[in-house]
Amino acid sequence: MKKAIENIINGLKSEDEVSVSVALDEIEQLSGLTDDDKIALASALALLFYRDHVGMSEMISLANRAEKQITRFGSVVIPFLIDELVSADAESCAHLGRAIAVNGANAIAPLLDVWNRKRTDQYALINLTQALAYFRIPEVLQALPEILVAAESDNYQLSSNAINAMGKLVVRIDPNLFDEALRQQMFDISFARLSDSRSLVRMQAARTLGKLMEKGLLTNTQKERLQTAYCAITGKDGSNDWDDAYIVRHEAKCYLPLLKTTPTSVTHYQQSFKILSKRELCPNTFHYVIEAPLIARKLQAGQFIIIRPHELSERIPLSICGWDREEGHIEVVIMSVGKTTLQMNEMGVGDCFKDIVGPLGERSHVRHYRGTCVVIGGGFGTGAIIPTARDLKALGSRVIGVIGARSKELLIMVDELKAACDEVILTTNDGSAGIQGFVTNALEQIIKEEKRVSHVLAIGPVPMMQAVCELTRPIGIETMVSLNALMVDGTGMCGACRISIDGKTKFACFHGPDFDGHKVDFDQLTKRQKMFVAEEKQALETL
Amino acid sequence: MSEKSAKKSTELSNKQRMALSFQEMSLLPPEERVKNFEEVPIGYSLEEAIAEAQRCIQCKKPDCVDGCPVGIDIPAFIKLIENGNMADAAKKIREKNFLPAACGRVCPQDKQCQAVCVVGKKKEPVDIGSLERYAADYERQHGTLELPEIPPATGKRIAIVGAGPAGLTCAYELRIRGHEVVVFEAFHRAGGVLVYGIPRFRLPMDIIDEDIKFLEKIGVKFVYNMIIGKILSLDDLLEQEGFDAVFVASGAGLPKMLDIPGVNANGVYSANEYLTRIYLMQADKFPKYSTPLYQGKKVAVIGAGNTAMDVLRTAKRLGADTTCYYRRSRGEAPARTEELKHAEQEFLNWRWLANPVEFIVDEDNFVKQIKCEKMELSDPDTSGRRKPLPTGEFFTEDADTVVLSLGCDVNPMIPATDKGIKTNKWGIIIVDEESCQTTKRGVFAGGDAITGGATVILAMGQAKTAAKAIDRYVRG
Ligand SMILES: Cc1cc2nc3c(=O)[nH]c(=O)nc-3n(C[C@H](O)[C@H](O)[C@H](O)COP(=O)(O)OP(=O)(O)OC[C@H]3O[C@@H](n4cnc5c(N)ncnc54)[C@H](O)[C@@H]3O)c2cc1C
Ligand SMILES: Cc1cc2nc3c(=O)[nH]c(=O)nc-3n(C[C@H](O)[C@H](O)[C@H](O)COP(=O)(O)OP(=O)(O)OC[C@H]3O[C@@H](n4cnc5c(N)ncnc54)[C@H](O)[C@@H]3O)c2cc1C
Ligand code: SF4
Ligand code: FES
Repeated sequence: MKKAIENIINGLKSEDEVSVSVALDEIEQLSGLTDDDKIALASALALLFYRDHVGMSEMISLANRAEKQITRFGSVVIPFLIDELVSADAESCAHLGRAIAVNGANAIAPLLDVWNRKRTDQYALINLTQALAYFRIPEVLQALPEILVAAESDNYQLSSNAINAMGKLVVRIDPNLFDEALRQQMFDISFARLSDSRSLVRMQAARTLGKLMEKGLLTNTQKERLQTAYCAITGKDGSNDWDDAYIVRHEAKCYLPLLKTTPTSVTHYQQSFKILSKRELCPNTFHYVIEAPLIARKLQAGQFIIIRPHELSERIPLSICGWDREEGHIEVVIMSVGKTTLQMNEMGVGDCFKDIVGPLGERSHVRHYRGTCVVIGGGFGTGAIIPTARDLKALGSRVIGVIGARSKELLIMVDELKAACDEVILTTNDGSAGIQGFVTNALEQIIKEEKRVSHVLAIGPVPMMQAVCELTRPIGIETMVSLNALMVDGTGMCGACRISIDGKTKFACFHGPDFDGHKVDFDQLTKRQKMFVAEEKQALETL
Repeated sequence: MSEKSAKKSTELSNKQRMALSFQEMSLLPPEERVKNFEEVPIGYSLEEAIAEAQRCIQCKKPDCVDGCPVGIDIPAFIKLIENGNMADAAKKIREKNFLPAACGRVCPQDKQCQAVCVVGKKKEPVDIGSLERYAADYERQHGTLELPEIPPATGKRIAIVGAGPAGLTCAYELRIRGHEVVVFEAFHRAGGVLVYGIPRFRLPMDIIDEDIKFLEKIGVKFVYNMIIGKILSLDDLLEQEGFDAVFVASGAGLPKMLDIPGVNANGVYSANEYLTRIYLMQADKFPKYSTPLYQGKKVAVIGAGNTAMDVLRTAKRLGADTTCYYRRSRGEAPARTEELKHAEQEFLNWRWLANPVEFIVDEDNFVKQIKCEKMELSDPDTSGRRKPLPTGEFFTEDADTVVLSLGCDVNPMIPATDKGIKTNKWGIIIVDEESCQTTKRGVFAGGDAITGGATVILAMGQAKTAAKAIDRYVRG
């Protein structure tokens, strides 16, 4: 046996490739090897890693075969291999590293042990980090703290090896095993190295950061920082001052597109539709402030929105009664009349509506009028007249507001309307506040008292709007009404909201919602609003 | 299986191929399918697909490729199917068409690739559409779709208005050229007519969802509830939002209405409203989904195009006695042949040469009857077309729901809100044909917005043309 092993060892040491190959074959036949035999063989095999292979392509495959043979000896040879590793040249280091890493968890402790002893030997550490990069088992994380320290070393080969090892581990090990602190550390250390003076270090850092990103280990802010860095490296930031090393630019260029796919810029267009405040105005009627910055920026008096409160809902059109462009808020009044409005009014501060589209419809008819303008609101329409009243007043017209309700408790948005008008008149059917009667009684009085009434806007229940129009028609006062026809899309593509205006079919959502009240076919509007009465009842029963 | 069949087929001569029998795709039986929204054509089995693929004689100069608006290499993908190489067949199609599962189902192949197929001169043409569908379905079911490689970012940003077939295609074409693409969609979901028009029994919803997911995976960004022209103008996009170009694909969303008494009656819908309520808002599942649909016992559908067929078949599935009214005869019906055939199997009533003149309503404005004038066809006029002529004879039938399926005009939102976008007298956005560039600098348009209601594949073709031009434009 001894003899056979000696022969093999001699064969391995031979200058002749054929003899080496034969010896390698023979190792495979051996069995019953003692630990000493294994170590002796391993050290002879390891010599093959150092052989010069330039111009001898055969040597490369012989070295690879030697590596394979060593791995067969198991963990007894680990101490020997690590010993070799610490002083190995670059080529052999790879072979040795792989041969060690095959042993998995068994090899970690001895490696760390040597690391401790060789702490001041940077050459040894360079090789140790390289070996660590070959592991595929979670236990290698025990060595990560050392790798992180090494990554910050002044020795550029050590730090580039360490950063590279970090990147390899990120790819080879389940990303979930890296906790938040570790992720942060890996990012910070690598990121700092993007400005290293050595291009090799910058390249490894750019690559490892890319891998961290690819494996989903970066936060959005980290990604943004990385994107900026990559853009600077590649000169994409418009500075024309790119990294002078191709290898660094190349890494950045490969990873940059992946970063671009993360939805950073769309968040800019995402609105939460969160309810910021909710206030009861009267039973079943609430005032809401909703977060919708993009819509707030564009709203104009008279426009409306469509809300789909949740996934199963229908689309509910609502007038706007106010907005704050700076804060990004919109305000609506919702009155419960059926299933969906009831569901909406069950939502509270902090809840989010699923979808809101808008602004929809055209701006109200506003310009400067010589005579008085009267804005009339009933029900939820009381909120809707406020923005138009404000605009009319801003253009220098005298504006009188009129609100009507059945009784005092149902009068809503009075103070808000007062702020927007020169004067506000209240009417109640039961006389509990203001003029007893209907809004038309107030309008008649205004027409009598004012020098001249030039413009009337009425928003509310259809009978109210119709009555106002009948009053103003014979005396020829321009009267606009906002039509709350049934709607689906609100953009003019379905025709659900169509209504005869002066005998011509118009779409309330697209051509309106405001129309010349004297031309509206109110009878048709009333009847069309009743199209789904049976279904609405059925829906309500499911609540 | 695949190797064996490959060997066998290489031995087939053209003569043998011509002798093979047409593989007709199986359909759900009409009695059964009108009770649900299941997809009607069942799809080929592996054997059927290969057998149909063997019928292709692999023309040297294939006319079908010229017949396809996006120039899919049809013989090549059919050969791959014949060899059992389904994943590659799908890949081949995807070189030209990234919505193969949808197109295989909804393209009017009878007026395109299959119309010019040489085999069709003697027998049934090769069923290209069904084979396209087969390859696409295989890809989806086996997860063989690979994400395309995205070149390094160009730093250019393009806004797409509308997530219908045109918008989606343009988004894809620009994304794979390395640009950043943001799609703005008015509704709460993407797909355009593919989701709110074309019924589930022709195009199952999950197919479109897959296509959208695919786009998201390659980095196309979608923003919903955004009506461009209202929440952001074209100028906002180009100036304030920093987009380098805009592609308008807002479709043909304006339904044509009739100008006859009773058209605004309750129970009279446009096809858009009817189909949107059902397919986008899921009114068929009312009251679980809250959007209501009023549908009586007798539904009258006006028109005989694809949309009309879709409405007829939908109404039938919702349990109505359904009748089609069309002012010309069956021969002139603009619907896809296959659609008309499938509709005719589904127990519908047909009134050809019947032109509605009034919808008769009750005192609550609900439609009760439809009054039609009988028509006859003229001799072909100078343009070779036969016009429907009034006969002066009328008839009246009961109908408590009417759906107008008369086609759509171009969605007016964009031209109405931007004076720089010029349209012709029909409201169609004017573009340069070579580049799809509109009259406004940096703004391009395609799809139904520049043609009026057309087809998915035409919309896609224009989107590809536009994408090339936009790519050139933003690169300067
Ligand atoms: C442009 C416009 C602006 C609107 N602004 C507001 C607003 O600011 N605040 C508000 O609370 N509501 C407003 N509405 C009305 C609101 O959209 C409806 O009340 C809501 O759609 C009812 O839905 P639901 O499911 O709760 O009730 P449903 O079950 O659909 O209906 C219950 C009852 O309400 C009636 N109704 C349904 N839709 C309307 C309608 N569009 N107009 C009038 N009555 C209707 C029905 O006839 C039925 O009797 C507006 C409507 C439009 C078209
Ligand atoms: C019922 C029906 C059946 C059909 N069947 C077939 C068929 O079998 N085969 C076939 O080839 N073709 C068919 N067609 C035609 C085909 O669907 C269309 O030609 C095709 O969808 C056009 O694509 P597009 O992208 O141009 O527009 P669309 O599909 O209409 O998409 C436009 C999109 O833009 C959005 N949008 C509109 N305005 C704005 C805005 N201002 N801001 C943001 N987004 C906006 C819309 O919401 C929509 O999502 C059918 C059409 C219908 C209606
Ligand atoms: S995309 Fe349409 S036209 Fe082109 S090959 Fe397929 S079915 Fe034919
Ligand atoms: S709501 Fe659909 S067109 Fe007005």
